[in-house]
Amino acid sequence: MTKIRSMLATAVAGAVFMMMAPAAQAVDADAALALARQNNCLKCHAIEKDKDGPSYKKVAEKYKGKANAEARLIEHITSGEKAKFPDGHEEEHKIIKTSPPKDMAQIKNLVQWILAQ
Amino acid sequence: MDNNKPGFFKRMWGVLARPSAKYSVLAIASVFFVIGILFWGGFHTGLEMTNTLDFCTTCHEMRDTVYQEYKETIHYSNRTGVRAICSDCHVPREWGPKMIRKARASLEVWGKITGDIDTKEKFEAKRMTLATHEWDRMKASNSQECRNCHAFDAMSSELQKQTPYKKHMKAKEEGKTCIDCHKGIAHHLPKEYKDPDE
Repeated sequence: MTKIRSMLATAVAGAVFMMMAPAAQAVDADAALALARQNNCLKCHAIEKDKDGPSYKKVAEKYKGKANAEARLIEHITSGEKAKFPDGHEEEHKIIKTSPPKDMAQIKNLVQWILAQ
Repeated sequence: MDNNKPGFFKRMWGVLARPSAKYSVLAIASVFFVIGILFWGGFHTGLEMTNTLDFCTTCHEMRDTVYQEYKETIHYSNRTGVRAICSDCHVPREWGPKMIRKARASLEVWGKITGDIDTKEKFEAKRMTLATHEWDRMKASNSQECRNCHAFDAMSSELQKQTPYKKHMKAKEEGKTCIDCHKGIAHHLPKEYKDPDE
């Protein structure tokens, strides 16, 4: 009886946890790529190879397993903070623009797409 | 009734073809000079009216789609308050190219009548075709409308960020033109578009 109660409690706790956890949003790769193209991201970045900026694969690797990865990248592409270039000089990173303006869902989707490379 | 009386047009032609016995050549030339100025002024005033932002956004095909996108860009609103309107980018300033562009634009009236892009869905379905026409036109004119305001030689290595400056100077060396790299600067890119640098 105790065992059944314990199993029930675990099942209920699991269900509650699943309901409370934010629904994992699937990355919309087409939308992310369209936003990257619209903002000329691909002039300085590529998925596989390094250009003036690191490849998206390298970025994903750098932030793999880090809890603040998403927030860090969002900050990087929306604040105009300095980015370091291969020749050592620093320059403000382009601020990504969305349509409608400042649509954080689009920014988040782009960052999640980069982190998924 | 006299059936041999010449018709209206024949009589008018008779008047026009007959040498003037009453007015001097100078008087006639002066009258035509003034009429010419009025006609030319009227023609150009009418033409310039079709170059205004208000005129371009009269049609909902433009107002509901590309105009809304343009309003979010730097060419509409920026730090210095300089605005580039539709005609600044899409209508040449030089007389000959302007007349050719305006003549071609009359086809757009046909598109309006036939409802070619009268819904957002229809517009999106044709966006790549329409954008490609405009990109080709800009490429053929060496992005003349961009260069009415922007010039490689006017770019300052101190004021422009290092990376875009390097890219601009490289583009100049390679004989590239603005539209080669700046597609979608004032409107959404078509979903079929792929950046050649990808």
